[in-house]
Parts: sequence; structure tokens; C-alpha cells
Amino acid sequence: MKRLAVVAVLVAAAVALFVAGRNAAAEPLRTSTTGTRYAATVLIEEPVTGRVSMEVVVDSGDADTVAVSAVMPEMGHSTPEITAREQRPGRFLAEGELFSMSGVWDVSLRLDGPAGEEQLIVKALISDR
Amino acid sequence: MIRLLCLVAVLLLAMAAPAAAHNVTAGADLRIAQTIAGAELTVVIKGTSRVPGPLRIGVVAYEPVTPLRIGLRVRSVEDGRTVTGTAEAAPRDPRYTQLTVTRTGPHELTLRAGDEVAVIPFRVLVERGSAGDFLIYGGLFLAGTLLVGGVLTGGLARRGTAMLLAGGAAAGVTVAAMVVVFEQALPAPPPDGAAPTAATPVGGRPFAQGKVATVPDRPAEGEEFTLRLDLVDGSTGRPVDDLAVHHEAIAHVVVTSEDGRYFRHVHPLRTAPGRLEVRLRADRPGRYFAHAEVERQDSGGQLLTGAFTVHPAGDPAGESIQAAAAAPRLRPAAPVAGRPATIELDAPGDVRPWLGMTGHLLVRSQDGAFMGHVHEMGTPGSPLRFTFSFPEPGRYLAWAQYATADRIVTAPFTVDVAAAGSAR
Repeated sequence: MKRLAVVAVLVAAAVALFVAGRNAAAEPLRTSTTGTRYAATVLIEEPVTGRVSMEVVVDSGDADTVAVSAVMPEMGHSTPEITAREQRPGRFLAEGELFSMSGVWDVSLRLDGPAGEEQLIVKALISDR
Repeated sequence: MIRLLCLVAVLLLAMAAPAAAHNVTAGADLRIAQTIAGAELTVVIKGTSRVPGPLRIGVVAYEPVTPLRIGLRVRSVEDGRTVTGTAEAAPRDPRYTQLTVTRTGPHELTLRAGDEVAVIPFRVLVERGSAGDFLIYGGLFLAGTLLVGGVLTGGLARRGTAMLLAGGAAAGVTVAAMVVVFEQALPAPPPDGAAPTAATPVGGRPFAQGKVATVPDRPAEGEEFTLRLDLVDGSTGRPVDDLAVHHEAIAHVVVTSEDGRYFRHVHPLRTAPGRLEVRLRADRPGRYFAHAEVERQDSGGQLLTGAFTVHPAGDPAGESIQAAAAAPRLRPAAPVAGRPATIELDAPGDVRPWLGMTGHLLVRSQDGAFMGHVHEMGTPGSPLRFTFSFPEPGRYLAWAQYATADRIVTAPFTVDVAAAGSAR
């Protein structure tokens, strides 16, 4: 009978861990957005507070420059714009401190090119480092 | 132990994310009132239970209830895929136009009527199968299988194996039972396409600042003009583009002339991020007030105000059509400031809900500094009943509104409120 109880408790514990663990850990962020002039995908390998590297892939439209800034709507925080470096045609890398605290941020991409300027916004869930 | 479990349950409930606005899920329609092409409409978006799947959009006409063709365009913000259709506004039970959405997540609905365009952002959500269900059925299936095995091996007198199988069966039943009991307390997985939510939402967002303007800036009497409301976040300076749908609209705007003879309760169109616009025509020159009720997501509501002037035209417009003053019953007959007063109005039998309520009462102080929006709280079929505590003594201008089968009725009247202690 004891063995039976032990097995039941172990299985229940494993199940609890499975359920609780599903939402943990910051996963890499990958999200796409399209506007009228440009379409872009944002990739953040480690979406955490502090210094981050953010890759912006311009999926459509010919963007010459990409600048990235962020706003945390819940708190009213906003961070200065970071100009992204074009690494390869259509691939830009922005590095710097964008997210001062964990939570949901609006990442705004300001794309500029021959077609004109457009601002696109994607949501990002940022975890503590 | 029970206390600990209760605590865990309470914590899990408290951590559950608040409902986000503008979400379209199966079984939860998104209803948004819009004042477009001179008509007062409510756009209904019905959710889908799968993607690719059908997204059904209908338009209910409140005033006028004449047929109006609305162009629809649904665009996925993530991949830019666009589908179009048209909807015919109908007074009741609209014919739903079926469009196909291929993915969940952020979308935009563009409405087009005449030369007016509104862009409504929304999210298509599809419920995911819950892990709890999987565990309940998985646990019971395991228990059943093992019990049969246990009985068979027991019959064959293999005691150790039988015990092991019986133990497994007990574990299966335990898991299923635990999940059945605690499933309500466990956070449901977010639906597919949901906006990310923080584990500990802060609750409340900064104030929105509203700037009221007219286009042209000097509207003339009788001439159509656009009333524009630009919303700016007070903390970041960015446009406020996160308005929640409350009482079936992203903004309720009440425009009144200073003397109260002109009254419109309209639902402006979102024409750009942070910009709301509605077309109006004022029939008399003078000063006008605009009071806008808005609510940011995860926040409380707030009232934004502004004023503008309508200039006399060279060719004066005809006499304005003034609605006959209503004769409400007040209880107490002389309302006292700071105490609840009840206002009763007779209404015809064919009143239908509008903006989610049977009736609305808009109350403005004479100087325009105060605006209240009260909801009808009576029982169906009886007179409309509103209860409100007028904050200060003085004369208030009031307009009761309700929708009948063919129009929106606005009944204007005034309420004189006495100071507390002055009543003898």
C-alpha cells in the first residue's frame, strides 16, 4: 500500500511540474508585422531586460534605415531610439538598452526608404535577466 | 494543507491575466458602435473556433435604419494577407458576411462607407486544447488500462506485477481527480494569437491627453465638419492607440451646444493611431462642448473635454428641429446634491438594447464642466429608471437616450438640484 501511495505522489508531482513549467523561461522572440510600405520580422534571441540584440529583417519594401525604440504602455516608460546597423541587405541589427524592466513592451520600428517613412509596432514580452 | 492549497488557488487566480480588449474569440462577439456616413451603426465581429476559418461580420443599424452598404477589409498585421467583402446594415439580425482568416493574432478591420474610412484593430484568438483535459482523460485511460491488467495478472497470481499495475492505476486516478478538482484554479493556457501578457500585470496605464479640434477650424452653421480627437499618452508622448471597447465603443463622444439645444452622442472612427474623427453638422452658431469617454486597456475610464465654436453662415440655416422636452418623474421630486436621485421616463414597448444597455442618461452641468453618463437600471418592460447622485447643486441639462426598432430617441430635460440642508 505504501508503494502505491509513493507512486501516486511521484506521478502527481511530475504532472504538477509539467503544468507549472510550461510557461516558464524566456523563449526567443520572433514576430512579424506588415504595414502599407514595409513588412518586417523582429528577432530577439534573449528578450530580457538590459542590453539586448535585436535583429530586424525587412521582409518587403526597400528600407534604407531602421531605427528601434520601445514603450512600456502599462508603466508609461519609453526608451531612446537606437539606429540599427544594416548587416546584409534587408537585415538590420540594433544593440543597446531597450527594456528597463520586465513586462510587455511595444517595440516600434521606424523604417525609411525610397517609399517613405513608416512606423510599425510589435509587442514583446520581456523577462528579467 | 487545505489552507495551503487554498492560498495557491487564490494566488493562481490573482495572477490570471485580465481580459484584453478587441479580442475576437468563438462565442465572444466583438461589438463596436460607429458613427459613419451619417448613420449610427454597431459592427459585430463573430469569432472563429479555428484557423483557417470563417470570420463573420454583420452591421446593425440603429439610426437611420435604411439599408447602407459598408465595405469591409480584414488584414492580418503579421503577414499582410487581406480579404474583402461588403456588409449591408440591417436594423435587426443582420446578414453576416463571411470572410476567411488564415491565422490568429493581430488584424485590422477597415470599414468604408461613402468617403469615410475607419480602421479597427483587433485580435483573432483561437482556444487551445487545455493541458488539464489531456491529463484528466489521459489519467483515466491509464487507470482503466492498468486496472484491467491488474485484474488479469492478479488472476494469474502474479502478486508483485499486480501491485505495480494497481499502483499505476491509482496514480492515474489520482492525477485525473487532482486535475478535475484544481483545473478551475490552474491558469488556462493563453489562446492562440493572444497578445503577450506579463506574469504580474501592473494594472492601470498613464493618462491620455486629448486635443479636440475641428476641420475646418472655423466650422459654419449648417456645414458639415469633422470633429477630431487626438489622444496622446501623458508619460511617453506617443499616440494612445490602446483604447479598450467599453459599452460597445472605443469612445463615446457627446457634443452639446452651450445652451443644450444641440445634442449628439456619437462614436468616432479611428482614422489613424491615436486619432478619432466623426463628421457632424451644427445647425446654429455658438459655442459647443465635446466630452469624450475613453478607456485605455487594463485601465479605468477617463473623460476628455474640449470646446469649439460654430460660426454664423452668410446664408442662415433653417430653424433647428428641437426635440420636445420630456417629462421625467424625479424621486425625490427636488433632488439633493450628493444624494441618489432616481429619474423615471416612460418608453414605448419596442425598446431594444443599444450600446449594451436599455437606456443611457447623459447629464451635463450648465457650464459644461461636468458630464455624467448613467445607465438604465430598471426592470424590462417598466419605465426607464436611472439613479444618479448629482455632485453639486444647480441646474443640469439631461438627455435620456434609448433605441427603438427604427431610431434612437433622445429625450431632453433639465434637473434642478438643491444643496444638501437647503430642503425644508
